[in-house]
Amino acid sequence: MTYNKPIPPQGQHTKPFWDGAREGRLMLPRCTNCNRVHWYPRLICPTCHSMDIEWIEASGEGHIHTYAVQHRAFGGWGEEVPYVTAYIDLKEGDRMMTVLRGVDPMRPEDIKIGARVRVEFEAASEDTHIPFWRLAED
Amino acid sequence: MAAKLKNAAAIVGAAESNEIGYPEERGPKVTSLQHHIEAIRNVSDQTGIPISDIDGIFSAGWSSQLAEYLGLKPHYIDTTSVGGCSFQMHVHHALAAIHAGIIDVALVSHGQAGWSYRGAGGRRGNTAPGEIDPGIEMSMAYGAFGAPSSYAHAMVRHMHNFGTTAEDFAHISVVTRQWATLNPRALMYSTETNPFGGPITVQDVMEARLIAWPLTLYHCCLVTDHGGAVIVARPEIARSLRTNPVWIAGAGESMGHANMLEMEDFTATSASRSSATAYEMAGMGPGDMEMAMIYDSFTITAAITAEMLGLAPRGKGYTLWKEGHAAPGGRLPINTNGGGLSFNHSGMYGMQLLVEAYRQLSGTAEDGVNGVEGKQTDARTCVVNGTGGTLSTTGTLVLTADG
Repeated sequence: MTYNKPIPPQGQHTKPFWDGAREGRLMLPRCTNCNRVHWYPRLICPTCHSMDIEWIEASGEGHIHTYAVQHRAFGGWGEEVPYVTAYIDLKEGDRMMTVLRGVDPMRPEDIKIGARVRVEFEAASEDTHIPFWRLAED
Repeated sequence: MAAKLKNAAAIVGAAESNEIGYPEERGPKVTSLQHHIEAIRNVSDQTGIPISDIDGIFSAGWSSQLAEYLGLKPHYIDTTSVGGCSFQMHVHHALAAIHAGIIDVALVSHGQAGWSYRGAGGRRGNTAPGEIDPGIEMSMAYGAFGAPSSYAHAMVRHMHNFGTTAEDFAHISVVTRQWATLNPRALMYSTETNPFGGPITVQDVMEARLIAWPLTLYHCCLVTDHGGAVIVARPEIARSLRTNPVWIAGAGESMGHANMLEMEDFTATSASRSSATAYEMAGMGPGDMEMAMIYDSFTITAAITAEMLGLAPRGKGYTLWKEGHAAPGGRLPINTNGGGLSFNHSGMYGMQLLVEAYRQLSGTAEDGVNGVEGKQTDARTCVVNGTGGTLSTTGTLVLTADG
């Protein structure tokens, strides 16, 4: 089935991320001066302001920081309501947004902040594979 | 007056980005953002002033985005964008801000990929056509539609951290509606002004249509039209007019982020910092405030802001409404116009806050245009807090009645 939801245009400074995503690898920017990972990707470290940034392959593990259940949406997402959006604390540091998989949007009270999640990728187009996070099986 | 600014500040360094002109003739295209960041890195290296020392940020349209990108929490944010002379104005505004003692180090920044991203479509927002904002790039795939989608995440985290419930926040809607029933210009004044107007209950709020769990429709502000204006004048003029002056005792501003992806603590906003500045300037504290006008885009916005302003302990902001303190006749009236929730919300509600705060403190809240008996309070002090973006930016004023 054709992917019918917004596909991000690939930016000028994020090629390693999208290249990794096509191979199923989560790539994160890390400052070589202070060793901190930051997200979203930058040309300059938001902590120490060094411009020496490298890309590392992440573990693909994280925890739910917070979430919500979207009942009002449009376009392709409108066909999927209700669904759960969430912010994920990455094992390597900093935070990503996602649509969370493997949870029941009709039972939001059962979703636990702090629960473990793993990344997976969906091929939205040949060039763009989008990371989504899924509740980890214990 | 202006002469007081003479020599109050100096330009201490100036630098450019690494590749200007036609960068493509030497390498890859350069984005507007990259021009900004390289020039900022270079001027920091030139002067020896760490980027982290910058406490005021000035640019033509970019300021909150740049501050977030740099991880800064400035106390002066000016993004005046009125064409090519904007940067001379930024220097002027920075001079005034430094003279006033608000900031020590101002950054004025410019980045514009006029050649690299030339072409059809013209300039859109801050970036040239074809440039991608990396924060948007990394969040646009994930099904968020407008403010309710985002703010719901803050309420869930508040519930997790402090054990609050959606019912707790529903009291904010109920009490704010009580104020609206005293304001004939409020959209939700009565069932005659709107089929859904008039008093509501916690049950009404909880049973309303879900927008983004746990936010139901009645946790969300209205969408309306509005126009408003205020005039600020120096004291000699203020005292000479037929209107009652309301004094600006304190003012402060700050920001946490531009994109919610960068919100460090989903239960806190920069209003803690903007209000600290305003209270210090005023020589007053939250205990001196006799009413409050708080941006209530959502119930959670009002609750968190009340905590940030020091009007209630952390996690307990909602109690001001639940226990009736914020209601008509309460000890700390809040949002006496009926708020963004039930009076009016045009998208950027800060002006509505100012108009009502002026009316309350000038004794004209029942001026025959906007009120009926019961809306005017006897408050002599008011803290006003606007919140912008997705719990991103805040501006706080401490206002006092004349005399």
